[in-house]
Amino acid sequence: MTETIFTDPSAPAKVDPELVAFIYHEARLADEARYSEWEALWDDDAHYWVPMSPDADPETQVSYINDNRARIRSRVAQLNTGVRHSQTPPSVLRRTVSNFEVVSEAPQAGTVTVASNFVLVEYRFETTLWAGRYLHTIRAAQSGLRLAGKTVHLVNAGGPIPTMSFLI
Amino acid sequence: MTVTDQAGLPAEIAAGLRPGDIRALVQPDRVRGLVYTDPRVFDLEMRRIFREGWVFVAHESEVPEPGDYVTKRIAGEPYVVARGKDGVVRVLANRCTHRGNRLCNAEKGNSSSFRCPYHGWTFSNDGSLSGVPMREGYGERFPEIRASLGLVQAPRQESYRGFTFASLAPGGITLAEHLGNARHAIDRLVALSPTGSIQLSAGWMKHRMRCNWKMVMENNVDGYHALFTHQSVYDAVRPAKVSHVPSKTETMVRDMGNGHSEIDYATEYRRLDEEFVWYGRLKREKVPGYIAALEEARGVDGAHDTLVIGPPHTLIFPNLFIAEMNIMTVEPLSVSETIAYTTPVLIPGHPEMNSRTLRRTEGAMGPAGFLIADDGEIGARNQLGLAAREPEWVVLSRGMESDITDATGRVNRDKSAETPQRGWWQHWAAVLEGETTGAEAQ
Repeated sequence: MTETIFTDPSAPAKVDPELVAFIYHEARLADEARYSEWEALWDDDAHYWVPMSPDADPETQVSYINDNRARIRSRVAQLNTGVRHSQTPPSVLRRTVSNFEVVSEAPQAGTVTVASNFVLVEYRFETTLWAGRYLHTIRAAQSGLRLAGKTVHLVNAGGPIPTMSFLI
Repeated sequence: MTVTDQAGLPAEIAAGLRPGDIRALVQPDRVRGLVYTDPRVFDLEMRRIFREGWVFVAHESEVPEPGDYVTKRIAGEPYVVARGKDGVVRVLANRCTHRGNRLCNAEKGNSSSFRCPYHGWTFSNDGSLSGVPMREGYGERFPEIRASLGLVQAPRQESYRGFTFASLAPGGITLAEHLGNARHAIDRLVALSPTGSIQLSAGWMKHRMRCNWKMVMENNVDGYHALFTHQSVYDAVRPAKVSHVPSKTETMVRDMGNGHSEIDYATEYRRLDEEFVWYGRLKREKVPGYIAALEEARGVDGAHDTLVIGPPHTLIFPNLFIAEMNIMTVEPLSVSETIAYTTPVLIPGHPEMNSRTLRRTEGAMGPAGFLIADDGEIGARNQLGLAAREPEWVVLSRGMESDITDATGRVNRDKSAETPQRGWWQHWAAVLEGETTGAEAQ
């Protein structure tokens, strides 16, 4: 096993401030529809995943979003056309991210996974409240921190959910 | 009484929806905008279409084992679709017959019985009442109570190739009569499975849309919108699988009767004679196990043709859309709100196909899908636009003069013709007028 799963309740307090700053930055780029800058955070082994339940197996269950690096590129390219109607104009978004905990480390992959809670307010037609748990898998590369994975466990993953074509 | 009421409904309809009133909303080439916006039309639809008519409820593969159940809604009412220990799939009202508590509260599960948490009444998964605590309180009448208070079963239930439909009216046309030519679409879908059976086990995405349910359904067979609504996909991701220009393609639209309709790519795909055009132009070498099984089942030529023409793109009135390798169904919540449910079509025993299908579904469909998110947005804006009461009509005349009738229905060789919509609305009016379901008059 190369991955260490932290269960020590004192460990979560020690989340590297650099990791937290990276997550804040990622959140702000998503909120502000800065699609290409957001895409540039991703590493080649990217996995952007929004399942319909926390214990879903993506090999047998359909997910709302289950993007590899190529599909993230397509998703951002579509948003950048200006005629992705469900984001034209972009939803007005602001999110708060908190309750950071390091949940695992995988030294061989060079990654740390940070869990957090988020609350996101979307304004489009009306105000919609989104909330859930993030798992950011972050790699320290020579060029700086890179995003290898982002899992979003929505509170209302069971649905129905409204259109979610912004970056959650 | 004024000429029109506040919702813009002609006074005669506001006065009580008499015979002929709905017909007046539907002309051969146009419909009144209020068919999407008036709550009284919605109420009538719930009765005539969703209660009295045949509606898709579930696929038998959702409850593969005895004891399996899934909860659904029909016309807003809770139902549980359960496979009894006898292997029979039943559509049962999800309501305790004692005091009305919703019995089954999970979306799915496996249980030999359902026990009401309120007073402990227990029902077998065939619907029979199997246990009543402190039965002596009912005195000598208990046997009669037990015999008469089983779960209510949908008055009519029939399946075609695993697709289970129900009607909440005791009488009317058979499912076979309702499906008519559309059964060929189901045949075409299941032909892609070497065993002839498909599996809807990947879960349903539930997408809340801010529009009338009919917009969702008729848009599914609208061959005109794609270049515009989905321009961002063609610009940024991939070109259209076949040309949208009528003179360059043999793609056609078809009104199959009974409100069923489709966009049919089969002729175009056969002209190209290329397999998997409908599946990202997959090379057959990538899925050798599936190819071998399909050739075993259909022969070399049969398998080739099956893979050339692919799955259907067919709407089965009122609530089932076979979206190639996806199934979509809709639940109308109100005149302006709809839940679209989508799940991929899986082929038992072929995970190499299924993982691809899952990824394709996630790419195209659902609340974050590259296609459907924008259809939902356009639907929402359509609903907002229709709040303007003038012009009164929505125009559906495109291609009307080039429709031709053949054994398969009314066909137009221009995919952008509004032939499917015209067929939908003619049938819709007939059903709402009570002319076609054969349900007993109420």
